[in-house]
Amino acid sequence: MTIASHRIDGLASARDLFALTKPRVMSLVIFTALCGLLAAPGSIHPVIGFTAILAISLGAGASAALNQWYESDIDAVMKRTSQRPLPAGRMDRETALHFGIGLSVFSVLLMGVAVNWFSAAFLAFSIFFYAVVYTIWLKRSTPQNIVIGGAAGAFPPAIGWAAVTGDVTLMPVLLFSIIFFWTPPHFWALALFVNSDYSKAGVPMMPVVAGRRSTRHQIFGYSLVLAAVAVAPFVLGLAGAIYGGSAIVLSGIFCALAWQVARSTTSEPKDMAAEKRLFKFSILYLFALFAALVADRMILA
Amino acid sequence: MSEIDPNKAPMSPEEQRAYQARQKQRAVIMAGLLMFMVVLFYLITIVKIGSSS
Repeated sequence: MTIASHRIDGLASARDLFALTKPRVMSLVIFTALCGLLAAPGSIHPVIGFTAILAISLGAGASAALNQWYESDIDAVMKRTSQRPLPAGRMDRETALHFGIGLSVFSVLLMGVAVNWFSAAFLAFSIFFYAVVYTIWLKRSTPQNIVIGGAAGAFPPAIGWAAVTGDVTLMPVLLFSIIFFWTPPHFWALALFVNSDYSKAGVPMMPVVAGRRSTRHQIFGYSLVLAAVAVAPFVLGLAGAIYGGSAIVLSGIFCALAWQVARSTTSEPKDMAAEKRLFKFSILYLFALFAALVADRMILA
Repeated sequence: MSEIDPNKAPMSPEEQRAYQARQKQRAVIMAGLLMFMVVLFYLITIVKIGSSS
C-alpha cells in the first residue's frame, strides 16, 4: 500500500460511505416498509410518511455499516465481499463504526421527532437486533443464523405500520412472520448453488454444517410454514380477496418449487435448476405478495 | 506498507491535490444533504403545526 492511498483512506469517499449502507438490500427494506405503511389502517401525511420511510432506510443503512464494521475479517476472506470498502482497504474501521453509530442515532431521532416515539423505539430495537444480536452474537455460532438474521430483515413492514398507527397488532406481526419464514428458503436455495466461501470464513452456514439433504428438507419445511403465515391474514379476515387469492396462488407455487428442491439429490451447482428456480421465484413472491396487500387495501378500502 | 507514518510525512503536491479533491467532494455532498434536511424539517414543522391547530 502506498503512502498516498494510506493518507486518503483517512478521508473515506462518499461512494464508499454509500456502499457501506448496502444499497441493494435497502431497496427491499424500502419496499416492504412502504407496503406496511400503506396497508396500515388510518392515514399519514405524505411528508410524515416519506420521513418514516427515510428513517427506516437510514436505520437499515446504519445496521449494514455496523455489520460491515464488525465483519471486515470475514468479508476479507470471501470473494463476494472482499471488494467492500473495509476489506479492500479503502476505509478504516473507525470511520465505519462512527458512520454506523451516527446514522443509527440520527435515524431514530428523526423517526421520533417527525413520526412517533413508538416506531422510533421499534427502529432502535431493529438496529440493535441486527448489529448486536445477529452480527456480533449469533451469526458465527449457529447454523440457524439466517433464520435469526431474517428477523432483522422482517422488521421494516411492522415499523412502517407502527409509523401510521403508533402500535403493533396482529397484522404487522403476520407481515413480520412472512419475511421471517421467507428468508431461510430464499437464502438456503442460493447457498446450495453458490459456493460462497462461508466455511473458509468460519461461518456455520446450513448447507456446510448440516449438509445438502437436510438443508433441502428444511427449505420445504419453512416453505409450508411460510404458506400458512402468508394465507393467515385472509383466513383471519384481516385482508380481502385480492390478497387472499394472490397469497394462495403464490404460496402454492412456492411450495411446489420447494418440493422439487426437497426431492433433488444433485450436488453439482450447474445441475441445480430446482434451487435456482426457487431462488428467483422467492424474490418475485415477496414483492408480489406485499404489492397484493397494498392493492387489496387500496381497492377494497 | 511504508514504515513512515503517512499522516506525519509531508504531502507531495499530487497527494495534496487528491486529498483536497476528496475533501471538496465530501463537502459538496454534505452541503446538499444539509439543504435537503433543512427543507424536510421545514415541511415537517408546517405539517405538525397544521395538524395541531
